[in-house]
Amino acid sequence: MRFTKVVIPIALCILLLSFAAPAQRKKYGRAAKPQAPLPVVSAIDTEALKGLITQQRQRPLLVNFWATFCDPCRDEFPDLVKIDKDYRPNSLDFVTVSLDDIDQIKTDVPKFLSSMKATMPAYLLNTTDPEPAINFIDRRWQGDLPATYLYNEKGEVVYKHIGRVNTAELREAIEKAVKKSDSQ
Amino acid sequence: MRAKNLSILFAAVFVIAGAVLATGARAEGEVPAPPAIGATIDDFTLPDVDNKDRSLKSLDGKNGTVLLFIAVQCPVSNAYNERMAKLAEDYKAKGIAVIGINSNVAEDAAAVKAHAAEHKLSFPILKDPGNKIADRLGASVTPEAYFLDANNKLLYHGRIDNSRNAAQVESNDLRNALDSAISGKAVEKTEAKAFGCSIKRG
Repeated sequence: MRFTKVVIPIALCILLLSFAAPAQRKKYGRAAKPQAPLPVVSAIDTEALKGLITQQRQRPLLVNFWATFCDPCRDEFPDLVKIDKDYRPNSLDFVTVSLDDIDQIKTDVPKFLSSMKATMPAYLLNTTDPEPAINFIDRRWQGDLPATYLYNEKGEVVYKHIGRVNTAELREAIEKAVKKSDSQ
Repeated sequence: MRAKNLSILFAAVFVIAGAVLATGARAEGEVPAPPAIGATIDDFTLPDVDNKDRSLKSLDGKNGTVLLFIAVQCPVSNAYNERMAKLAEDYKAKGIAVIGINSNVAEDAAAVKAHAAEHKLSFPILKDPGNKIADRLGASVTPEAYFLDANNKLLYHGRIDNSRNAAQVESNDLRNALDSAISGKAVEKTEAKAFGCSIKRG
């Protein structure tokens, strides 16, 4: 009799606490937040890259070639993200093409894009020989990064810059290309 | 007195503006054009990692010289360390010298020396202060190679091979050029785009 008087209340208390604890954690948000998935980076080979650039389009296309190992590429990325937010919703297509190693397609490349809050379509050039792609983009380009190209709807280069972009100059070129596109 | 002060002020503004314009004259990322294949590369002198002046003439090979623009921190250049060391070793006996050049402003001689020791790069490496030789040769990236014949005539310019991943090498462009020259044949592929990290110019 004495045993039940002591043990039953203790057991009830433990039971109540075990229910209350998760509710408490939930209330104060102490449970670990589920991590946002990393952005998807698609592998693109030289032929697919050619197709992407030459395809018929309704709006100008901005392509930024970069790599995680390239300091000026990382430095200019916040500016590119701002440009993407300002223009892609209404008047511009924008893709990034990483020249990192294919092994980094699910690691370093999406991690960097995530840290930049970059949401433009992202590709990684999947090739053992980058020369044909470099020559297709621009015979005068040596493959040094970053490199940024703006194409009109016909796939013609209307602006290019090798090295860290000059944001004001790039925005001016985009405005010009977008205006031309609207007037046609 | 006031007029004199004003003229000093104007002169100072003029000098500062001139300096700003001069430094900004070359847009970032713009690299001078490389010499044409067949052009003769003039002798030059650069300090080595022990700060001793070394001329191209004092280091060149009797059958030719490879100038390799390399870096300490660039992962692409570093992916080639073993291949560059092997290249220098393989062609030394064939009379071709390999000379490394580091033109990156942020990588000093001590860092270049330590890096070379760590990665067993036994060929001489020169520092290129003010990237004068990188500009003269139009070098854009690391690694980037120039192969000169015994008379310092440019026979090949570009990449070492097609892939930074040694297991995926299909086209040994630099070695092919060296082998052709050694056997007295014309170099078939004289240019192949070098891919790597941009040279950090000062």
